[in-house]
Amino acid sequence: MNDLTCDIGYKSINHVGEQLCGDHVEIVEQEDGSTVAVLADGLGSGVKASILSTLTSKIISTMLAAGLSIEECVETIAATLPVCSERGVAYSTFTIIRIIQNHTAELIQYDNPQMIVLRNGENWEYPRTETTIGGKQIFRSLIRLQEDDVFIAMSDGCPHAGIGLAYNFGWKREDIIPFMEAMSLCGYTARNLAALLVDECNKLYGGEPGDDATACVVRIRKRVPMNILFGPPSNRDDVERMMNLFFSKEGKHIICGGTTSSIAAKWLRKPLRPSLDFTGDIPPIAYLEGVDLVTEGVITVNRVVEYAKDYLGENKSYETWSSGKDGASLISRLLFEEATDINFYVGKAINPAHQNPDLPINFNIKMNLVQELSEALKKMGKRIKVSYF
Amino acid sequence: MTVTICVGSSCHIKGSRQVVEQLQELIAGENLSDKIILSGTFCLNKCQQGVCVTVDDEFFSVSPETVSSFFEKVIKARL
Repeated sequence: MNDLTCDIGYKSINHVGEQLCGDHVEIVEQEDGSTVAVLADGLGSGVKASILSTLTSKIISTMLAAGLSIEECVETIAATLPVCSERGVAYSTFTIIRIIQNHTAELIQYDNPQMIVLRNGENWEYPRTETTIGGKQIFRSLIRLQEDDVFIAMSDGCPHAGIGLAYNFGWKREDIIPFMEAMSLCGYTARNLAALLVDECNKLYGGEPGDDATACVVRIRKRVPMNILFGPPSNRDDVERMMNLFFSKEGKHIICGGTTSSIAAKWLRKPLRPSLDFTGDIPPIAYLEGVDLVTEGVITVNRVVEYAKDYLGENKSYETWSSGKDGASLISRLLFEEATDINFYVGKAINPAHQNPDLPINFNIKMNLVQELSEALKKMGKRIKVSYF
Repeated sequence: MTVTICVGSSCHIKGSRQVVEQLQELIAGENLSDKIILSGTFCLNKCQQGVCVTVDDEFFSVSPETVSSFFEKVIKARL
């Protein structure tokens, strides 16, 4: 396998007044290291559309992941989808992006706006072959992946944005392309690229979307390993082993915790220089030759966990951590945006000073933080390995 | 003279930030910045007595409330 990986993110907005979204994105990872992402757009909006699109994307992703052909998927969908009583049809469009072992992308498109592919930051009109399966006209493409390729799948709510408001005919695909070309080179994650596109649609709709709008972005990037040391080992004799393992690993090195960084400084035989720059309410960072970032422990990591949960949800703190200079913002940028593979080296030593009941930090909280952070990072699609000492 | 303030977790919660900021103000106010070097450190292993401060390697326990008297009695007395 090569050293590429895919970063997948999506965002939907609902038709004004609807609680459910009629678009659905489903992402499944296969055992052989392939990933299938399906964006389905159900007919209409609200609960019916939601059922149609959820069924469609679930059926396709599950069947493809199990190795069945696209023909069988389409036939199954046609035979399964409930028929709408008002319109007499069962209908959901879909776009499938299948990343095969990080070297090839298979695109299968049915009636959604044509997927945009950006290569080296520029639009690329990739080859498509047309086939007919069960009376449906389906476009297929096979693309050899390159680093920095960006695939943008949309529901028709995106190009329809602003119809009759900002534009006569909506935000056309050829106008979306330059918008995304400009954004694709700024180092945004897939999740943020999708959010930028959908938020722009929402703006064009005047905040009252006339249709569900969804964007699903797949960004091909090089694997970036990163290592975090958090806490001293419970047995002092393990310091040597822990430091050896940590510093021998490829990628950037982050150390969280005052005592931990002092131990690392001693092991490296380099001076630890804490700064006195307080930015925000997070304790200052420190400098240590040979380590990319040194921060305080529990308070800083606690904030990182808050940012991680927010990033997976409403993404309200993005502006805070994407530019902040405090320890928590710096860790967040490294972990959420830069890293793809993260190794945690967690020491289980109990800091006697933290067992004071007056303090809002203790050993259990520390272990929970590691758990919560690694789970959140997994949800961001990162590969996580945690070793305890 | 070097004044070192702990900025570890425990001392941070006990107000090391306020201690640093007040000391920075006091030092600037009396034009002593060429005589006193302020620096930070991580844990001095005396968290119960935080905020931990050392003046030329001698240990002191300071809180945000006692900074000004600490500055007058300890720091200025040693200049």
